[in-house]
Amino acid sequence: MALEHVNAVVIGSGAGGGIVAKELAAAGMKVALLERGRWISPYECAKDDLRNQRTSVLGASFGPDDEERNPRVKVEKDGSEQIVYPSRGAYNNNAMCVGGGTASYGAMAWRFMPQDFRLKTTYGAVEGSTLEDWPITYDDLEPFYEQAEYEIGVSGDVVPDPFKGPRRKPLPMPPLPPNREYAVLRPAALRLGLHPFDIPMLRNSVPYGGRQACMRCRWCVGFACEVNAKCGTQNTVIPAALASGNCELRTEAIVKEIVLDAGGKARGVKYIDEKERLREQTADVVIVSCGAIESARLLLNSKSRLFPNGIGNNHDWVGRNLQGHAYTGANGLMPFDCYDDVGPGAGVAICDYNHGNKGLVGGGMLCNEFIRLPYQFLGRMPPWIPAWGKEHKDFVRTWYRRAVNVQGPVQEMPVFHARVEADPKVKDYWGVPVARMSGNKHPHTLEIADFMSRRAEEWLKEAGATRTWRRVPGDDLSAGQHQAGTCRMGNDPKTSVVDKHCRVHDVDNLYVVDASVHVTNGGFNPVLTIMAIAYWASHHLLKARS
Amino acid sequence: MKISRNPDRRRFLRTAAGVAAIPAASCTRAGRRWRFLTDEQADTIGAICDQIIPPDQDPGAVSAGVVHFIDRQLKGHYAYLQDAYIKGVVEIEQAAQEKFGKRFSALASEQQLDLLREREKTAFFRMIADHAMQGFYGDPRHGGNRDFASWKMMGIPNPPVRGRQQHDLTKS
Amino acid sequence: MPKLRNIFLAAGLFVVAALLIAPGGSLLYYRSTKGEGCARCHEIRPSFDMWAASTHRTISCNDCHGGLLTPDADFHASNLRRLVRHVRDDAPQQILMSGQGEIERLTARCQECHQREYAAWKAGPHSATYADIFTDAEHNRKRLLMDDCLRCHGMHFQGGIEDLVTPVATEGPWKLVREEMAGKPTMPCVTCHEVHKKGQPLGPRAPRKQPVSSARQAVAPASLGLFDRRTKVHVAVDLMPVPQIYEGGRPVKMSPDPRQALCYQCHAPEAGGQAWSGDDRTGLGVHEGISCLACHDPHTQQTRASCATCHPRLSNCGLDVEKMDTTFKDPASKHNVHTVKCADCHPKGVPPKRNRGLSIVSSLR
Repeated sequence: MALEHVNAVVIGSGAGGGIVAKELAAAGMKVALLERGRWISPYECAKDDLRNQRTSVLGASFGPDDEERNPRVKVEKDGSEQIVYPSRGAYNNNAMCVGGGTASYGAMAWRFMPQDFRLKTTYGAVEGSTLEDWPITYDDLEPFYEQAEYEIGVSGDVVPDPFKGPRRKPLPMPPLPPNREYAVLRPAALRLGLHPFDIPMLRNSVPYGGRQACMRCRWCVGFACEVNAKCGTQNTVIPAALASGNCELRTEAIVKEIVLDAGGKARGVKYIDEKERLREQTADVVIVSCGAIESARLLLNSKSRLFPNGIGNNHDWVGRNLQGHAYTGANGLMPFDCYDDVGPGAGVAICDYNHGNKGLVGGGMLCNEFIRLPYQFLGRMPPWIPAWGKEHKDFVRTWYRRAVNVQGPVQEMPVFHARVEADPKVKDYWGVPVARMSGNKHPHTLEIADFMSRRAEEWLKEAGATRTWRRVPGDDLSAGQHQAGTCRMGNDPKTSVVDKHCRVHDVDNLYVVDASVHVTNGGFNPVLTIMAIAYWASHHLLKARS
Repeated sequence: MKISRNPDRRRFLRTAAGVAAIPAASCTRAGRRWRFLTDEQADTIGAICDQIIPPDQDPGAVSAGVVHFIDRQLKGHYAYLQDAYIKGVVEIEQAAQEKFGKRFSALASEQQLDLLREREKTAFFRMIADHAMQGFYGDPRHGGNRDFASWKMMGIPNPPVRGRQQHDLTKS
Repeated sequence: MPKLRNIFLAAGLFVVAALLIAPGGSLLYYRSTKGEGCARCHEIRPSFDMWAASTHRTISCNDCHGGLLTPDADFHASNLRRLVRHVRDDAPQQILMSGQGEIERLTARCQECHQREYAAWKAGPHSATYADIFTDAEHNRKRLLMDDCLRCHGMHFQGGIEDLVTPVATEGPWKLVREEMAGKPTMPCVTCHEVHKKGQPLGPRAPRKQPVSSARQAVAPASLGLFDRRTKVHVAVDLMPVPQIYEGGRPVKMSPDPRQALCYQCHAPEAGGQAWSGDDRTGLGVHEGISCLACHDPHTQQTRASCATCHPRLSNCGLDVEKMDTTFKDPASKHNVHTVKCADCHPKGVPPKRNRGLSIVSSLR
């Protein structure tokens, strides 16, 4: 049975897709929003510290929930490869559920800085990197950043940050009151001549959007919010889209390929529905918002006469420049208790080292980390403590409440050979070739990480840490929850996949709207930029249509 | 296991109960302490885990239920690691016999540590160390961290006492 | 996968056979093993072991949980599902209490022996029903319902807030998704009592002791524990924290009564522990440092005649404490009995002590 034709089919209901669906539906377009996962309620999440989206050793509770059905292939530096499953780190999972990563994220709401869109112009080319400017500027996105902040909801106070781009309006909500780490770290940053301020967060600090404020529990990043204070697309724009009457959300809908018509335009998508039936949904416009790994995989798996190597991939740029964030920082031991059990934990940040670091191309934001749950804490042990035995246990007992972690995401140098391909052999449960990930970080990314970790260490020492140790990333591929870059935005169809309005070059009714289009990924958590670009792309899509 | 004073009556009742008992009786592990492990394997794993997280003024791995955690997960999320566990335990028991002529759990603490230090970099040891940490520091719902042993040790109150602001949304 | 199909087929046949012949058989099996048969299934073992060492060990499993003759289709369906999962070797880590029917059977069974406590609970606010709590228009108009509500109201409900109330919005009218839940209590006996808690079975009931009035004498009954909705097990009261409450920067004197840990789970302050933030009701002023349970009856929550357990009839001022202008006498009074201070009635300063002083009160701390 054929499905009724719609104006737009949006694939993926995360940060990008949720917003596009709502914008188009609100403008009167009939939208089918396809999501391969399910709704995940706080009841299912149940604050399980070994089974959530940050610590998934016993399962990734926000999907994919069936491990065996959703494998990927990871290629190591030495060329060896292994099949990996969602609950294991090498899978580079984000989430697969209604709301995508926004249902369980930590919810930092950063705007990129103006320089982040012009890294090549600011610093020059970097050998071995496909570093490039974005085809759009901070000023282009500013109104859409604002729209995201107000429609989804952001609390915080960025006024004391002198490095931020110009903004017309303040954040809609004040910051949450400081916790103990904040109270120790902020004055220390000021003493160092730095410029600390309250992290912007997609989290209600006061009632907003008809929902109540954060109760400050210890289970935030990786979990669903039981008080509904964390703002994601699943509790803001998606309900609004559904309420408009123009949007139909279909969960457990696994899109296999994008189908083209004879003229080279997208006709719609083929997907497997929740009853495992193959369906075809035709649409005027197709929007791909599956995250950097799965969006690239979908384009690569959509082969046709015009695009024998996958749709939009005639110049071999789809799946390239896979990047995430090299997380770096330091830990310190304080002579007093810093743990006060007041979540989310992260509160104070500095942007003094995002740019202008001598000899370095960019940098990143530094802030105190979210509450480290007990098992997570073990991933931050100092190098002088053995990995097991009496000393290990003694250390945890003595220092858990007195250890502070400062860290941040390093803006990565994009690398052409860090990539997603459709695996030639391994297929998922539905017979679709899986994502095959390969490549490594650029050496300069690691130099920046090293620099940043030293700055984090200085901050902790000034705050009174009696002993500190740095935590620097290895050169392994990074993608994970900050995955980006695989469908680069650009003006030249030979060196990019989509144009500056997120439309795939050569297919004028096919869009990619998620972090795939990021040319570079900022020295920040990328979600607010994904949201701003979703508003930006929707705006231009609607304008082109009218 | 003594459940009835009269063996004949007991046998009769058991027979009469035959059909309903099939699922239970057909389960070869019924009535045993562990779901996956044998008593011997559990014993070895316990001894290893108690070196990884030794008892001191606070409970160690075994008394916090870490072996229960591992046993449960081997029939759950870690079912794919069953072979790795069996092989790892066999290997370390062989080494214990060859080197000291005793079962691993019967060795003196220093002897156990000798064997474990030699294996510190092996995939088996890393795996069991990580699982011991999960069982000890993770949520008790998975079978370990009995009575919040580790959380009490670390000074983490549980469940946290946490109320909410009484907002009136009609006024915001 | 023909092998898998065979296993399914075999399992299916077992189930059908069991259904046909089982009732008598399994009843006999259960009786003959004195419940031990239950624990042959690993996923029940932890609960069984606790029961076997508990004060309630003389009461059989199906006395409370239900058995073959229990007229509850959901119960049998879920047991059947458990059996299938067990046979398929896909058993859950532990079988936990589930289903409204089971909770109701438990509550009814508690009542059989603990009649006095049951009646007291029934008369008090903690027997509030799902309709009372979740379809209160006054509340729902002002405050958006959320999953966290169920932490204290309806912790036995299997599902999220969307599965319980519709709509989850500040505009009504609101109704329960399953109307039959309306009259069920949100906080039944097992909310605060762990039936499997360790202890010796009681003999014939001992004569009731005088209510415990001093925190120093208070020993938490072994059964006290909160049913934690997230993990679906009880957390024993002696494992739970009694928080430090603050009034501004000043730490409030806390009664050492361990039973209060249970009260504080729900009557909890916001992060930071400020007195009277959130749902906190900590005593301040003249009643600071006194346990909740010194005045509130644990089952009715009411405080009738509670003054007399501590106070001489007349206060330091020579007034009858029960007739003083506080919320004890009249809920409309502006002097909340939880926080009343001498200065509330003596704004110009408290007159010097005439007799006895506050030594009685301090003995309660």
